[in-house]
Amino acid sequence: MTPATRRTALESVIAAQAAERVNPPLLLPADPYFDLAGEEFGRRLLLTSGNDGAEYCLRPDFTLPIVADYIRNGPGKPAAFSYLGPIFRQREDGPAEFDQAGLELLAQQNADAALDAVFAFARDALAAYGITRPRIRLGGVRLFEALLAQADMPDAWRPRIRHRFGHPEALSRLLARLTAAPDLPRVKQPSRKALVEDITGRMTAAGLSLTESRTPEEIAERYLEQQALDAAHVPADTLRLLKDYLAISGPALQALTRIEALAHVRKLDLSAPLATLRRHLVALGSEADVVFEADFSPRLDYYTGIVFEMSGRGDEILASGGQYDRLLERLGATSPIAASGCALWVDRLEAEAAR
Amino acid sequence: MTGLTLAVPSKGRLEELTREFFAGEGLAITRPGGARSYLGALEGAPEVTVRFLPAGEIARELIRGTVDIGVTGRDLIHETSESGPQAVHFARALGFGQANVVVAVPDAWIDVTHMHDLADVASDLRSRRKRWMRIATKYITITRQHFAQAGIAEYRIVESLGATEAAPASGAADIIVDITTTGSTLAANQLRVLEDGVLLESEACLVVSRTAKWGGKRKAMLDALLRRLGAEAMG
Repeated sequence: MTPATRRTALESVIAAQAAERVNPPLLLPADPYFDLAGEEFGRRLLLTSGNDGAEYCLRPDFTLPIVADYIRNGPGKPAAFSYLGPIFRQREDGPAEFDQAGLELLAQQNADAALDAVFAFARDALAAYGITRPRIRLGGVRLFEALLAQADMPDAWRPRIRHRFGHPEALSRLLARLTAAPDLPRVKQPSRKALVEDITGRMTAAGLSLTESRTPEEIAERYLEQQALDAAHVPADTLRLLKDYLAISGPALQALTRIEALAHVRKLDLSAPLATLRRHLVALGSEADVVFEADFSPRLDYYTGIVFEMSGRGDEILASGGQYDRLLERLGATSPIAASGCALWVDRLEAEAAR
Repeated sequence: MTGLTLAVPSKGRLEELTREFFAGEGLAITRPGGARSYLGALEGAPEVTVRFLPAGEIARELIRGTVDIGVTGRDLIHETSESGPQAVHFARALGFGQANVVVAVPDAWIDVTHMHDLADVASDLRSRRKRWMRIATKYITITRQHFAQAGIAEYRIVESLGATEAAPASGAADIIVDITTTGSTLAANQLRVLEDGVLLESEACLVVSRTAKWGGKRKAMLDALLRRLGAEAMG
């Protein structure tokens, strides 16, 4: 096998998909990427600007232009897209231009079948590079959301914890902060009205607009909410549950069994997301080393169901993807639309094959 | 190249203090062509060519390896490139040019005292206003790095090259990341530094490029010069 024959094999895997092969422009407006993914992703863009000051970037991924185009053409109908071509990102280990291949399955009737198709596509693509027994890392976004929804705590904490899921350091910092929360005697709080007046006075004195940024009402409300939250402790028992859950990691079947046991002891109903995960494990078959990590999730908040990464013998991630039902809404769709897909790192696949 | 290149700030208070430092170590900087000249020498170290450059350019050239040694602010090394600190060796802090890169919010934001509060504010702005929290700064790299570490992703940077402290009042941004020595400019603009809002403690440093070519006798020359300047050898 040569690099050329491997590339041809990858081409045939892509051609075999029941998907429309697309090739979005290389030069794209940069704003949608910042809007969707913020500065953390933005720092990796290769930017350039037009004479009119408009900012453009060299195509840093395929998903966004494909999905944006799909929404523009009237979303709702099931659609499938495949791609293979160069993308551009600032990175420390390798050239800024490299090839990516992938599959996007949108608005499919059966979301489980769609994810299985994505898994199969990634496996076939890896096999084209001689990687027939990949290591697969699974994460359960829906599973964590289900656990969080049922765990005993003041409601205001749920979104804050959810918001940090996928960022293990920030999450463990928050849990540590909640664990250490001192049991302070309650000071009497000023009234909302007095606070709003005080804040309005300060903002006016500083020449701040009362409407452009955060309003005095918003600030006062969050201030009171913070005071209430400091008093509204997350029960120590719940913190233990979260820590125990997030620490679960290992061969997928064992990990899921441990989560089932945890759910049983804690009287949580996680049966639906767990059953879904088990179905996909069966579909993945025995020819793979599958691990499940309870705290694994991409940092982007549009991921929803199951997420995955595949690698070979090295540490490099060769394929990554999953379900991201919230992405289309983020990009302007008016109702949630099921979406799943994955992206393949072609240069890493070739490096792995050449090892 | 057989000698060493030393880049020093070309003007202002930084230039004066740099000269004072070298003179104090017995190696006076001379500028034979006068203040308009871009080349100079170190008295008592004939192997060294002195180049006068703006401090920001010194940081860039050190990281690229086109000058060997330089005097510049720690903040500029961190800001010029994410991998900047790995590309250089901080040989000695010089005891002047002290300033901190800090996160400051409007004093009226009484609910925000720590970085973790900003994480909440950022997600509130995103969900309620459908927009990102905007940060005015000229320290783009440092801001991105520290906000990533703090787990805050929901923000946009508004590049600001001067009078950053006015950005919240002018409506250009919600908060700022800026450099401050005494904090008085921030206070005058009713801005408050977060309790854990110091992103970087900076000062002028003697910095050695790791990316310059250190073959032949140059490494020995460098070691000797650093010794004379009371600076730490490059490992």
